[in-house]
Amino acid sequence: MEYAAQQTMNALAFGAEYALLALGLAIVFSIMGLVNFAHGEVIAVGGYTMVAFAALITANPLIIIFGAVGACIIASLALERVAFRPVRYADATTGLLTAFGVSMILQNLFLLLVSPRPIAVTSLYFLDWPMEIFGIRVSSLQVFESVSTVVVIMALMMFLRRTKLGLAMRAASLDFEMVRLMGIKANRVFAMAFMISGLLAGLACIFIMARRGSVDPHLGFNPVLKAFVACVVGGFGSLPGAVLGGFLLGAVEVGMLVLLPQEYGGMKDAFVFGIIGLVLVWRPDGILSPAQEKGDKL
Amino acid sequence: MTLSRSQKRGLVGATLLAFVLIAVGIAASWFGSRYQLRFVYGVYVNLLVVLGLQVFMGNARMTNLSHSAFMGIGAYVAAICVTPVAMKSISLPDAPWGLDSFELHPIISAIIAVVITGVLAFLLGLLIVRMTATGATITSLAILVIVHSIFLFRTDIFKGNQAFFGIPQVFSLTSIVVLSVIVVIGARIFRESRWGIQLRATADDEIGAAAMGVNVFHVRLIAWVLSGVLLAVAGIAYAFYLGTISARPFYFNHVFLTLAMLILGGMRTVTGAVLGTFLISFGLEVVRWLETGPTLIGISLPEVLGLSGITLGAVIVLTMGFRPLGIMGDREIEDFILKK
Repeated sequence: MEYAAQQTMNALAFGAEYALLALGLAIVFSIMGLVNFAHGEVIAVGGYTMVAFAALITANPLIIIFGAVGACIIASLALERVAFRPVRYADATTGLLTAFGVSMILQNLFLLLVSPRPIAVTSLYFLDWPMEIFGIRVSSLQVFESVSTVVVIMALMMFLRRTKLGLAMRAASLDFEMVRLMGIKANRVFAMAFMISGLLAGLACIFIMARRGSVDPHLGFNPVLKAFVACVVGGFGSLPGAVLGGFLLGAVEVGMLVLLPQEYGGMKDAFVFGIIGLVLVWRPDGILSPAQEKGDKL
Repeated sequence: MTLSRSQKRGLVGATLLAFVLIAVGIAASWFGSRYQLRFVYGVYVNLLVVLGLQVFMGNARMTNLSHSAFMGIGAYVAAICVTPVAMKSISLPDAPWGLDSFELHPIISAIIAVVITGVLAFLLGLLIVRMTATGATITSLAILVIVHSIFLFRTDIFKGNQAFFGIPQVFSLTSIVVLSVIVVIGARIFRESRWGIQLRATADDEIGAAAMGVNVFHVRLIAWVLSGVLLAVAGIAYAFYLGTISARPFYFNHVFLTLAMLILGGMRTVTGAVLGTFLISFGLEVVRWLETGPTLIGISLPEVLGLSGITLGAVIVLTMGFRPLGIMGDREIEDFILKK
């Protein structure tokens, strides 16, 4: 019983992390059709900011956390301004390849300017202590992760449903031209999308760093790859789909960790992707893909 | 069989490209040192990869990131088949299923490698071709990761990151030049063939093409499998010359490199694939030299690790920003000499 509950908690925590990242990818994709391969590098920026803050400014973990989230938001906005604005209205392939190139440049810049080796960050270890809920021992980090993801999803829903800019963003994912004709500034909608995406990446960054305790140039790569897969399974561009895909992926991953024998550890991701691939046999466009004609949006 | 006008022009263009490839090969074998010959061989292997990539990516305009994995599968299968038994007892001491108890003629090994890769490409293609462009890209990325983790995990068959050595050297520079000429002509014939034209039509307007009677999934699958086969050929050529292979060259760095080549040249045309491969291969050699921190006109430059990666990334970003269709765009080589 306790074992099952612990594994469920594990699955929730993994899923929460993937859902945060997948949401960040989906919100940008739904508005500008950009597959943001550079999302992982935004996380790495957050990680390196933690290093810089801890080494140069303060040991206060709260300031470090806020600094990292802020850095992620700034990095995300800067990428939109510098790299993605020229390809804003280009077709999906052009945007995708641009993001791919940006990701390469940033990874190599980290390599060149910082270090190819992992750098330890110990400031966030305090987030992780064993705690007991209803007699079941779980890690506090997992609780934080699940709870804050739920809070963020709620807040995002409120924003998208109750505010004017949120409404504009939902409308922009259907017909951007019309939104602009209604007098909404395009730059503002794009900036908002990247800001939210950066914020979500920053939150994910905190949890990833708290668990790993070190940052290297490829920090964001694996989580973001999983988040991409989550997006594809959920239906690319659909926000509920991204969340669903994230939690599904988390569940499958923990299932694999439990079921696979120890010596198959290196094959975990291969099995996870394989199982998720079977979902795509059933629904090639993802589970919650919007049922629209492909010719609709030109 | 009568050829259409574009098919005749295609043959002219392919012949011109073939001349270029042969000329570069001859020049290399006349002037090149041992190291340079090896480098030029590598360029031709990458050319085969980029052409294989172009067949699917350029015509269907769906980004594929799994190409290095297919190349790796081809290389490993051919290597396991062709390596002599005596050698395998050293390089693969605990191979399962009697993999170390046979050796085959290079041609038979190559055929087996092509068939196995082709069948795998077909099975994965059934999944890929039904997706949207974005979904297909991410799925191909997942395929790359899966294949790589299998290479790393089954060290008894693939040796993982260690070298699988003892593969006999079957190919020379001449053989790969001949091979690349055949592949260039094949890729161009495919582009101008009925399937190629249908596939390009689906890329321009999927609904429209389907309404005109094009079986979208069918033509995509044909291109995907053909692409997989060409990538297997590239992998075989790689294994048959270098003598050692490991899992690392069939992963992200190689994906980045070949993708940048195709994008710079222009993925829509075969000419673009060839041009991009040569430009980046030779350009990157200069960058690699700068990376080591050489002394230039009396000034010793610092060592810059990662410069080649930054250059490749910048090439992709700048090409996409200023010339999204690549240098060649929709033009093939014969458009410069033949009248419209």
